[in-house]
Amino acid sequence: MNDNSPETKIKVSVKQLNFFYNDTLALKDISLDFPDRSVTALIGPSGCGKSTLLRVLNRMYDLYPGQRAEGRVEVDGENIISPGVTVSALRAKIGMVFQRPTPFPMSIYDNIAFPVRLYRRLPRQQMDELVEEVLSKAALWNEVKDKLNRSGLSLSGGQQQRLCIARTIAIKPEIVLLDEPASALDPISMGQIDELIEELRHEYCVIMVTHNLQQASRVSDYTAFLYLGELIEFDTTNAIFTSPKIKRTEDYITGRFG
Amino acid sequence: MERHFEKEIARVMETLLAMADEAEKAVKASLQAFLAKDAAAAQSVLDNEHAINTFEITIDNDVVKFFALQQPVAVDLRLVLAIQMVNNELERIGDHAVNIAESAIQCSPFDPLEDLPDLFRMGEMVTTMLGNSLESFFTKNSELARAQLLKDDEVDEMNRSMILKSIDIVKKNPALIEPAIEYIRVSKNLERIADLSTNIAEEEIFHDQARMVKHHTDTTVPPFSH
Amino acid sequence: MKLDPGILRKRRLMNRFMIGLFHLAMIVSIGVLAAILIKLVADGVHSLAPSVFTMSTPAPGSKGGLFNAIVGSVLVVFFAILFAVPIGVLAGTYLAEYGRDSRFGHVVRFCNDILLSAPSIITGLFIYGLVVLPVGHFSGWAGALALCFIALPVIIRTTEDMLRLVPDTLREATIALGCPYWKMIVSIGWRAARPGIVTGIILALARISGETAPLLFTSLNNQFTSFSMNAPLSTLPIVIFQFAMSPYRDWQQLAWVGSLLITVTVLALSIFARLFSRRKT
Repeated sequence: MNDNSPETKIKVSVKQLNFFYNDTLALKDISLDFPDRSVTALIGPSGCGKSTLLRVLNRMYDLYPGQRAEGRVEVDGENIISPGVTVSALRAKIGMVFQRPTPFPMSIYDNIAFPVRLYRRLPRQQMDELVEEVLSKAALWNEVKDKLNRSGLSLSGGQQQRLCIARTIAIKPEIVLLDEPASALDPISMGQIDELIEELRHEYCVIMVTHNLQQASRVSDYTAFLYLGELIEFDTTNAIFTSPKIKRTEDYITGRFG
Repeated sequence: MERHFEKEIARVMETLLAMADEAEKAVKASLQAFLAKDAAAAQSVLDNEHAINTFEITIDNDVVKFFALQQPVAVDLRLVLAIQMVNNELERIGDHAVNIAESAIQCSPFDPLEDLPDLFRMGEMVTTMLGNSLESFFTKNSELARAQLLKDDEVDEMNRSMILKSIDIVKKNPALIEPAIEYIRVSKNLERIADLSTNIAEEEIFHDQARMVKHHTDTTVPPFSH
Repeated sequence: MKLDPGILRKRRLMNRFMIGLFHLAMIVSIGVLAAILIKLVADGVHSLAPSVFTMSTPAPGSKGGLFNAIVGSVLVVFFAILFAVPIGVLAGTYLAEYGRDSRFGHVVRFCNDILLSAPSIITGLFIYGLVVLPVGHFSGWAGALALCFIALPVIIRTTEDMLRLVPDTLREATIALGCPYWKMIVSIGWRAARPGIVTGIILALARISGETAPLLFTSLNNQFTSFSMNAPLSTLPIVIFQFAMSPYRDWQQLAWVGSLLITVTVLALSIFARLFSRRKT
C-alpha cells in the first residue's frame, strides 16, 4: 500500500457508463478514473458488476450478442467503446488474466510465443530472449527454464497462472486486467501472485477484480466498491479500509452484509 | 445478522467496562482517602491495584486475538484500536490512583493545608471528566467526548495554581514542606488523570468519526485521502 | 447419533448385492465380445494363409483369397473418410463456435442427429437413387459417398461436443490477447479438442469399415481386383455377406477369415483411438 501523489496520471477514464445484458441494466452510470502505474481493486458482492466493468474495458462483451455499453470509456483520451475502434489493437494494449489459469494446449515456450506472433515476426534468438525476459518477470523462469518444451498444462495451478501473466505481459500491454487472479489458488501461490501484482504496478495500470478483501487491501492503491451495478465509493485503499465514508462500503468490508 | 465479531466485541467491552469501573472507583477512593486522611482506605486502593492489572492483561490478549484471527477493517479496526488504547489508559489511571493513595498514607500524620478546597474542586472536576469520557466511549457519544477535550486546559490551570500555592505555603512556613510536596504530587497525578481522560474521549472520536483530534489538531483518518 | 446395527447390516447386504449385479453385467458384455472373438479366431485363423492377401476371390472350388475385397474396402473407406473429415470437422466447428444458439444452428444440429440414427440401408438406397441410377452403373465412388454420409454425422457430433468441452475462458483468454476469432479456433480450439476429434474420426472409421447394407446398392461387388473407383468394387463386408450365405465350404471359410480381418481391424482402431484420446497434448 502506498499513497500516490495527487498528480497521478489517469490512464483509463470511465464516464457515465451504462451496460446492458439484453434489457437488463448491469452497470448504472459509472464514472471512475483509473490512475496509471498503480493497482486499483474492484470489490463488491457477486453480481455487483465488477467483472462486467472489467470486461467492458477490453471489449470482451463484443463476443456476446445482446451485450452493449453506453457512455464513454477513455484510454489515453480515446473512447474505446465507440464502434470505430480496432478491437485487436485495443486488446494488445489491454491484457487480461482470468480467474482460472488458462494455459494454451501447447508448450510453455509457445504459450508465450503464440500471442507475440500475433503481432510480430521475431527471429528465433530474439523470441528466446523475450520468453526468458517475461518468464523471469513473472517469477517463473527458474522453475521452467529446463522444460520449456513441456506442455503448459503440465504446470501446477499457481505456475499456470504465472504463465498466463507472463503471456499477457509478453505483448507489452499498458493496462493489465486481473479477474480474481488468485481465487482458484492455494495460499502460497496466491502470495506469489500478490508479489507479482506488486511488481506490475511499477509499469502498468493494473485493474483487479477480487472477492478477497485482504488481497485488495494488501496489494491495491485504490479501491472501488460496487453494489448492484452502481459505484458506491472510490478512494485510496488506505481510506476505504480504515474509514470508508459510505455506510454500505463499511458494511461490506466488515462483513455486515447479507 | 449478528457477526461473530460482534459477540466477541461485546464480551471484551464488558471486561473493559468492569475495568473502567475499578479504575474510576480507585481514583475516587484514593482521593477520598487523601482528603479524609484515611490511611486504611488508602491501603485498600493499593491492595486492589492487581485487579486493574489483571483486566489489562486479559484485554491485551483479547486485542491480539482480534488482530490475529479477525483482521478487522474500517469501523471494526478503529474500535479494536480504541479498545487497546483505552485499556492502556485505564491501567495508567489505576497507577495514578495508587500514587494518590500513597500520598494519602504519607500525608495522614499532618494537618490539612489551607488550600484544601482547591484540591477538592480539582478532584471533583477530574473525576467528572473521567466519568464523562468513559460514558462517551461506552455510549458512542462523540459530542460528550468533544466537550471533555475543552476541560483539559482548565485542569492544567488548576494544577499550575496548586503548585504555586504550595510553594507559597512552604516559603511562609518551611515546616510544611512534607505535606506540601504530597499536595503537589496529588495535583500532578490528578492532572495526568485528566490528560488520560481526554485521551479516552479522543479514542471515542477516532472510533466513531474516524478523526484524529490529538494535540489540538483535527484531521481525517487516514490523513491523505486523495 | 449412533448407527443402528440393523441398518448397517442391511446396507452391507444391499452393497454386496448391487456389486454382484455390476459384476454380472460386466461378465455378460465382455463374455459376448470374447465369444465372438473366440469363435472368429477358432474358425478363421486356420484358413489365414498368405494367399488371402495376394489372390482375388475365387470361383467355387478353386483356390483364392480376399485381395480384391481388401483393396476395395480400403479404397472406399479411405475416400469416404477423406470427404467426411473436412466437411464434418468444419460443420461441427460451425455448430460449436458460431451456431451455438442460432436458429440455423439448431436446425442443422437436429438434422444431424436424425442422420446419426438413420438406418444405414436408407443411406445406401438414397445414394443408389442419387448416383447409381443417373450414372447407370454401380461404382466405388457411390460406395465411398454412402459411407461418407454415415461417417459425417458421427464426425460432426464429436467435433461439436469436443469443441464445446473447451472452456469458454480459454476462448476469452485467447481473444483477450487480441487474437482474431478464426485464428483462436484454429490455433487454440482445435488444438485443445484435437484428441477428442481424432478419436471421433477413428471411431467413425471403425464404424464404416464394417458397414454392409449401404454398399449393396452402391459399390456392389467385383470378383476381380480393380483399383478403379468408377467401376463396381469388391469390399470385405459384401464378400463376407455373399460367401457366408453360399453353400460352398471354401467360400464359407473365406467369409470367416474376412470377418476375422474386419473385427481385428475395428478392434485395433478402437484401441488406437482410446490410446490417442488418453494421451495429453
